[in-house]
Amino acid sequence: MAKDKEEVTQVNRRATRLSLSTANSTNDIEAAKSFNSQTLTLDNLVFGREPIGLDDLLSCFPGRRVQILEILHLLGTIKSSMPPMFIYGSASTGKTSIILQVFHHLRRPFVYISCLSCYSPRILFESILNQLLFHKKDAVNGYSSVKKCEKPSDFVNFIREALINVIDSLKENSKKMSSSKLKGQVNGRMIYLIFDNFDLVREWDKSSSILPLLFGLCDILKIPEVGFIFISNSSPDTYYSNTGYMEPILVYFPEYTEDDLRQIFMRNQANQKLYSSFLDVVLRPFCRVSRRLDELSTAFSTLFKKYCEPLSDLGVAPNEDMKRRLFSHIQPHIAHSLNEIFSVASQPSVESEANQETRKKGSAKKSVGSGDFDEIDFHMSTSAKYLLISAFLASRNPATLDASLFDSTGGSNSRKRKRNCNLLIKYFLLRVSEKSVERREAEEQELFMKGPGTFSLERLLAIFQCITSVGEDSFGEEGGADGVTVEGESNGLMSDVLLQLSSLCNVNFIVKGGSCPLEGSTRYRSTVSEDLALKVARSLKFPLSKYLFRR
Amino acid sequence: MAPSAATADSSPPPSTSGTTENHLQPVFVLHKAASRKYGRKSTGTTKTKRRIDLSSSIPKNFEKTDSESTEDFDDDPYVNLRMEAFEIVWTKIESTIKDVLWNINTNVFNEIGHWVRESFNTIKSFGMLTSHEATQAFPIMKDVSSKQLFTGLVLTKNMEFVDDLLTFEELGHFLKSQGCHVANLSSLDFMAKSGIGGCLRSLLRQFVGASSDAIDMSIMASWYRGQGNYNNPVVVIVNDIERCSGSILSNFILMLSEWVLKVPVILIMGVATTLDAPKSILPSNVLQCLSSYKFTLGTPAERMDAVVDAVFVKQCSGFIISHKVAVFMSNYFVRQDGTLTSFVRALKVACVQHFSMEPLSFLIRGFSLEEDGQVLHDGLLSKMILKHAFNLPSYERNKIEEQSVERFAIGLSRLKRLKNQWGTMVSCLYEAAKGDKIQLLDLLREALDPTSCNSTTSNSHIKLEKDIGASSSKDCQQYPMLRRGGFICQAVRKVKDLPASQLWKLLKRWEGLTMNVNEMHEKIKELLSLLKLENGKSSKQHMVDISKFLVLTTMLWKIGMKDLKFELEMGKRNPQRNHARRNASQSQFNIEDSKVVNVKAAALMECMVWDYMQPIECLPFHEIICFKNVEKLQLALIGDPRRRIQVDLLEFYKILRCSCCSRIGDTLSPSMHDTSIMYNLAQEHGDYINLHDWYNSFKSTVLCPINKGKNKSKQSPIPKKRKEMNEPKKQSEASIQYPLLYIIFFNVLDLLT
Repeated sequence: MAKDKEEVTQVNRRATRLSLSTANSTNDIEAAKSFNSQTLTLDNLVFGREPIGLDDLLSCFPGRRVQILEILHLLGTIKSSMPPMFIYGSASTGKTSIILQVFHHLRRPFVYISCLSCYSPRILFESILNQLLFHKKDAVNGYSSVKKCEKPSDFVNFIREALINVIDSLKENSKKMSSSKLKGQVNGRMIYLIFDNFDLVREWDKSSSILPLLFGLCDILKIPEVGFIFISNSSPDTYYSNTGYMEPILVYFPEYTEDDLRQIFMRNQANQKLYSSFLDVVLRPFCRVSRRLDELSTAFSTLFKKYCEPLSDLGVAPNEDMKRRLFSHIQPHIAHSLNEIFSVASQPSVESEANQETRKKGSAKKSVGSGDFDEIDFHMSTSAKYLLISAFLASRNPATLDASLFDSTGGSNSRKRKRNCNLLIKYFLLRVSEKSVERREAEEQELFMKGPGTFSLERLLAIFQCITSVGEDSFGEEGGADGVTVEGESNGLMSDVLLQLSSLCNVNFIVKGGSCPLEGSTRYRSTVSEDLALKVARSLKFPLSKYLFRR
Repeated sequence: MAPSAATADSSPPPSTSGTTENHLQPVFVLHKAASRKYGRKSTGTTKTKRRIDLSSSIPKNFEKTDSESTEDFDDDPYVNLRMEAFEIVWTKIESTIKDVLWNINTNVFNEIGHWVRESFNTIKSFGMLTSHEATQAFPIMKDVSSKQLFTGLVLTKNMEFVDDLLTFEELGHFLKSQGCHVANLSSLDFMAKSGIGGCLRSLLRQFVGASSDAIDMSIMASWYRGQGNYNNPVVVIVNDIERCSGSILSNFILMLSEWVLKVPVILIMGVATTLDAPKSILPSNVLQCLSSYKFTLGTPAERMDAVVDAVFVKQCSGFIISHKVAVFMSNYFVRQDGTLTSFVRALKVACVQHFSMEPLSFLIRGFSLEEDGQVLHDGLLSKMILKHAFNLPSYERNKIEEQSVERFAIGLSRLKRLKNQWGTMVSCLYEAAKGDKIQLLDLLREALDPTSCNSTTSNSHIKLEKDIGASSSKDCQQYPMLRRGGFICQAVRKVKDLPASQLWKLLKRWEGLTMNVNEMHEKIKELLSLLKLENGKSSKQHMVDISKFLVLTTMLWKIGMKDLKFELEMGKRNPQRNHARRNASQSQFNIEDSKVVNVKAAALMECMVWDYMQPIECLPFHEIICFKNVEKLQLALIGDPRRRIQVDLLEFYKILRCSCCSRIGDTLSPSMHDTSIMYNLAQEHGDYINLHDWYNSFKSTVLCPINKGKNKSKQSPIPKKRKEMNEPKKQSEASIQYPLLYIIFFNVLDLLT
């Protein structure tokens, strides 16, 4: 009991501190509800503190004037209700920021739910209820939600109750505002539910029941003071929502044009002229690749640093000559970073001096047990390497060729190996004479489309045994030279091959595929690039190319 | 333990009248013990047969099985000493390894710590949030780049991940000490089946402690606000991204990046293979969120070198492995596993086996102490021990007649001195070989090779000198340890070609290393001064110096000087040429001069090798500190556990060594253990058994009491009826009577899983 009191006083203290900054009338109304609501009020449902004018809003988002005005129009006046709104457009086109800023401008209360952060229906429900009931998870309440809510039916009941409460207090609030003529924080009698990243809901387990629920919530609740806004990356057609619910009003955010992007990037730049000359150089080639603002801005930030490198004074306004010089400086980097947008976004952009030094030292120190570290920059045990190669071979070569490539005895001496090669050459010749060029091309293409083939564990182990017995030659020198005969030297590599296989699977060099429908055993597939396989083979001095079957 | 032991002593037959012991206890099969006086020489199996004796000593023995000790003779007062010594030695080795690894990582750790601070400052520069903003659901709209998640990609350089678990744990501790909030996540938290909730739950459990059932990032945000000052970054370490489920990880990253302004999370991810790994796992829109930096940990080979250096070469514990063991371990490292963890495990197994097998091994304790032979002077040395010591093959080989405590003590201290000297020389060689991609383990392997020194006795010196006198060329092939183009020979050759500045550095390092070996130290100093002279003085004077030096050098130097002498003689005979040479430019002379020093340094190295580096296995009494039994180690490490178990099950009498079963052979007998009987029957039936499942079902039957069995079949002591198992509390008794079987049994389960 005493502890309870203590908590209450604590909360009170916090509340007073807060109320200094948010002196308003609604505090009194909510005060009675629970001690939590003392800290959170209707104000908290409003985005931003300082009011923002329409002109500011429009200038904040170049190229989005039409959309902003449309949204404002759809939201309507303070008292008008609205049908559900569905905002869509590809990633990084300003959907979320514009909606938030519009609400900031209108000073209307809303509840924001990101379906990314709320990753399951339960979290989604509870997050909405927490916000509507002014509940905050903290250490005092053990980070728990205000209500446990898992079933959609519970959710509908709870949210109805909560919404009615909020709307009542909103009404009272607006009455007070009109009577006292005080310019309050909260505006209007509507409350809005904003669902961001709505496309993610489709991937949930229970999406088939949750999607209709959320789309139809408007019809279920039948409270005119509640507005629904869905923000999604994908168009509404992908939701198959034609289940008799009210069709939402669509607002589409197209991709930015090059001019829009220029305006956006020119905002908040210290040296307008310099940056403008920089954009002249980079914007066009990049726009052909991507118009996503986030991708461009990361690419540009590093490129701009490069661009400014030759300059001593960043405040300088570049003349034509300097521009040309800077262009020639940046040109090689552009091509590189154009590719990067697609593939290597995670390339380390900055590397500290010390790091480089240690790397140099590391490479100098890299020692040779079997001479591998120069080629591959991570450690693999020899048996793992052989296994990797055999998996690669098993994936690349057709299974029918195995018998001719590998003897049943393993082809351990060179004579046999030579014979194998001869066999292979004969095989090649046969194929060449047999098949026309076109057919081969078609086959090549087919192989490319199919990717690496699958293989069974037995085949892998057979190949492994064969190639290790070949490889033992180079191996024996090392072991034999020491004058030590460690027992089981030859099959030493075999001893924990399954363990090696599992670690290769773990690092995604070999992928465990689905089981074969006929045999029922697990099939594997090697995902190693030929480059890496060749590197590994080189480190073992294994003649991989001899064994590779090429069409 | 005591009461149950008492009941075991009284050895109740299965059908006593007591109500609790009313039911059948099939595990209690009594075997007649074979004679108790086993030979003391038998090592591995003695411990096991001891344990099935139903004598009062059983509890004691059983306790010891836990502490992985094995004993040869029970009445040996030195067993405890050995145990103690093992504890001391192993803790020392372990802590040394830990320190070494820490030192290796410390640079990278500092770098990461620095980067974390920097990234945190960048995040903070986007502006402070009010408490309301920070816990609210809607995102903070700032710059586009504010959604970037700072990510450190730590390249672990090893496909196997075991070693790096410890590294990341230590990194966590390090960052915690720097004031960060740290959570360590592993790939197990990113399993596809537990979903995004799984990793968030684990994250919150580590940060917040309390875990409610509905978990989202808002809890993190509110927790972070509750921490008071917001000056500490939140670091999330993901051990191994290759093993994570890509979709879960990408969802996690997107979520973190959405909240990064509210909870300044900095991500550190371990990458086992190459930097392509994140690219292949994560989709591009996720990669977009990462602002990544690369850090590189030491390669396994580097770490291995450092560990080997600290444990074997430097004075650590005194424990050392023989050449064969070293070869085996390095092969195992390169071919099979490649992890330091397994190397350390092998080392531990070797250590345990050494202390359990070698009666005198407790003397190693004295090796790590400063004072020599302290243990000896304690008067602990009994006659028997002494006799054993002088019966050691290494001593017998040397045939020194006198056998006294003093002699033994001298021998030991000599062993210690020579071992230290050997270590110093090995590290000198390693210094020289360092840049040349030579691994210390390979070097050590060569340095330990006993065949290189067949006749090392106290008078080996003279003998070697004779050899040298006889040999005219100083080719590497001549000296056993320098033959075969081995690593040491490579190192020597390398020194010959070293440029002057690097040679200077090398000599300086040698000077530091050889502090303890006076003669060598002096010689190195001499060389250093020579090098200095060369750089300063004129060539003529220098020639004099060299000739002086030649006079001064001992016999040992001859080989190294052979070429030089020859050249000088040639010079005398050929005054014209000599003259021309003197007139040559200064620079050329310098090159020539430094070559001279190079030759000397190489000669010095050779001298190191064959005079100061007597392989441990050639020293008398080396058995005390040196583990040699490679077969045992091999069996322990890569023995085929399943086959072993099956063989043991079939040939149980070899382990049990009871007199009643040994005669039976193939046929079944009621006194056999259940598992053996079952296995035999299965074999007869022609069934293939999955041992793991089999033992698991056995375990469940043993551990779960089945009540209906209680009243049934009191009298039939047929062990086959396994359904009627004893109650769990009886298990302890059974495990005392059959500790071996129980240990096998539970270890087998471990092995198979």
